[in-house]
Amino acid sequence: MALRDRLESQKALQTAWGKLIPEKEAYKYATRQMAAFCANLFQVMRILEPDFEKRTEAICEISYALNMSVSGEEYMNEFYDQWNIPEFCEKSAWLGAIFGDYGDEAENMAGRVIQFTKDRVEKELDTCPWDIVGAELCNMTTAMFTANFDLANGGENDVALNMCEARGCGDRHCRVVAERRSTFGLPKQGFLDHMQQPVMPVHNTPEERMVSEGQILRNGQYSNAFGEEHSFEYDYRWLCEFGWAWCVAFPLVVIRDMAEDEDEFLRIFRIVFSTAGKNLFIEPFAKEGLRSWLGVPHTIGDNDPRLMGGYIMSVLDSQLVPYELDAFTKDEVRINVTADDFNGRFEMAPMDELAIGYEALWHNAVKTLVSAEWSCWFEGIDEEDMTIVVGRKIDKRMI
Amino acid sequence: MLFKEDEAARAEAMAVRNSAAWYRWTHDLVEVTGPDADRFVDYLYVNNIAKAPVGKSKYTTMLNEEGKIIDDTIVMHMGEQLFWISTLYAPQFLKWAATHCEGFDVECRDITAEWDMVAIQGPQSLDLVNAVLDEPVDDLKRFSIVDRCVGEAPVKVHRAGFTGELGFEFYIPAEHTAAVEEALKAEGEKREMPELQILEVYVRSVPVEKGFALRQDMYGLTPFECDLGWSVCMDKEFVGKAALEKAIEEGPKKKLVGLRFERPSTEDISQTEIVYRKGVPCGIVRTAIYGYTVDDNIGFAVIEAKKAIPGERVTVGMNDSPAVICDKVFV
Repeated sequence: MALRDRLESQKALQTAWGKLIPEKEAYKYATRQMAAFCANLFQVMRILEPDFEKRTEAICEISYALNMSVSGEEYMNEFYDQWNIPEFCEKSAWLGAIFGDYGDEAENMAGRVIQFTKDRVEKELDTCPWDIVGAELCNMTTAMFTANFDLANGGENDVALNMCEARGCGDRHCRVVAERRSTFGLPKQGFLDHMQQPVMPVHNTPEERMVSEGQILRNGQYSNAFGEEHSFEYDYRWLCEFGWAWCVAFPLVVIRDMAEDEDEFLRIFRIVFSTAGKNLFIEPFAKEGLRSWLGVPHTIGDNDPRLMGGYIMSVLDSQLVPYELDAFTKDEVRINVTADDFNGRFEMAPMDELAIGYEALWHNAVKTLVSAEWSCWFEGIDEEDMTIVVGRKIDKRMI
Repeated sequence: MLFKEDEAARAEAMAVRNSAAWYRWTHDLVEVTGPDADRFVDYLYVNNIAKAPVGKSKYTTMLNEEGKIIDDTIVMHMGEQLFWISTLYAPQFLKWAATHCEGFDVECRDITAEWDMVAIQGPQSLDLVNAVLDEPVDDLKRFSIVDRCVGEAPVKVHRAGFTGELGFEFYIPAEHTAAVEEALKAEGEKREMPELQILEVYVRSVPVEKGFALRQDMYGLTPFECDLGWSVCMDKEFVGKAALEKAIEEGPKKKLVGLRFERPSTEDISQTEIVYRKGVPCGIVRTAIYGYTVDDNIGFAVIEAKKAIPGERVTVGMNDSPAVICDKVFV
């Protein structure tokens, strides 16, 4: 369709230098940004708890419990109405499948519902922005589904749920299969039992016919099995709110507990995010790539804090975080943002760790993107109004 | 998504086509009563509901002010100034009714929790129905309702269905559902008429073969764009009539059509995908499913009217699955 016909409906974010990044690009970027934050957090967990089974079971337990606690009867009834789940549908069993499919697509986990029947559901994914995080997260999602199934059933569910393939484990697809235990003669599963093979054979989409983008990118909207549709804009907002909850806020609760105390947790948390930041622009072509992405003119030199400031602005814009630009000069960049907006992406679960993590990440990223003369810090990090500063700072104990 | 190789689904579909089967088919149910109940349903729906005598039902659509379908329902005339509306969207109906009831002395009540519904469908369904009822319903006409009993349980027998076969629906007071289902199960087993288990078979596969669409397939279209012009009575007032008059003048902009996929596929037809003609988007798939009678992947799509030509070749989705535009009725 001609551009002039779409000018009213096609949106974009504008970089500090006026380059327009289409909203679909921004959305994809946001999913990956969130996955990267989650990946860093899970590295913290691996340092604190070296045993795979112990840490996986722990995040599964907390994820299950939090999913159960945030959803009551009223929430469930609203959900049935919201999704138009008809009376004749077996609500008791398959709510998790409906909600799971929606969550996948809203987060650009592109794929398809292969089967959706009373006794068996099979969901196949071709892509997952979170596939860099690791197997613990794949396991954790099965605990979230289990909670959804239990909620819908009003107690212990009748479902054997297996993520029999996972891109986070190196498989080509993610594949989740739910089979009715009473039909297939299957035992109740523990938190670590959800990566087994299903009873019935799976359907495998060949590589040449896999998709690379979710429904909202392909078709401009999401449509579920009962015909309810969500717009791209709705799902983008959902991603930038609930996306932080399941992959960061929920795991954080238990990862904090793995440390001996708060200081120990924050020490390791900051070190991990600092390391990630130092590596963010270490490759010379990464800097060139960023300049191209943001449309940075050559008049902005290599030792200019606006490079980092423009980068931070694009991250905030793509994550739908409102901010106010207070200074943008060759001497400093100052970006005002409220704690509610920055840390409270998901209103029910605000996280101070977002500010702490990004401060560590950006403080070290600026060292490689611009130069070691520059630092990034959050003024008023414990207060309602914060300012993200990119400026010169000398600290004889700088890490 | 259903597979060609799924023998369980195939057996269920074939039971409906060749013999009979039964399944829980409870819809949301709204009771409309009051001195103006007949005028009110006539105002909300496109056809002459009130003209149906007591004991009869009609299939109809409800439009918004723009003349676009927002629901399709069966409305049953259950008594003097008493109508039952069988819909999948009672909460939405109640909100809609509340905003359009000015000047009508009516009451709308969601009675979904009070009534279950079981469908018995298939060419031999009458045999199973008569086996469980206290009196046969051999003479019951299509879209008619009579009172009967299954043992001690009172039921309202409605000759209708969503399979394109001879069929009946039992409306059962919720406290008697278990007993009625038990009776159907026992008599069904004797006749090898199973209880259907696979939702997609009786919600999608079997109905789509006969051209039966859900609201979600027609949502946002005019009745004329869905070949439902026969149901529209332009001689009375109803919500959306003015817009429909204009739509008649202008002709349809879109059309709900059938799609027959030419390549065995599951990945492209499992979601709402874009339809392309010569590589140019021309519509969107509204549903796609495997049909065990036609033994093909089939579905419905909404296509730009001028491109909705039977026999026209199109592709679907990112993988260019080839398909042909066809009539909505496949068998």
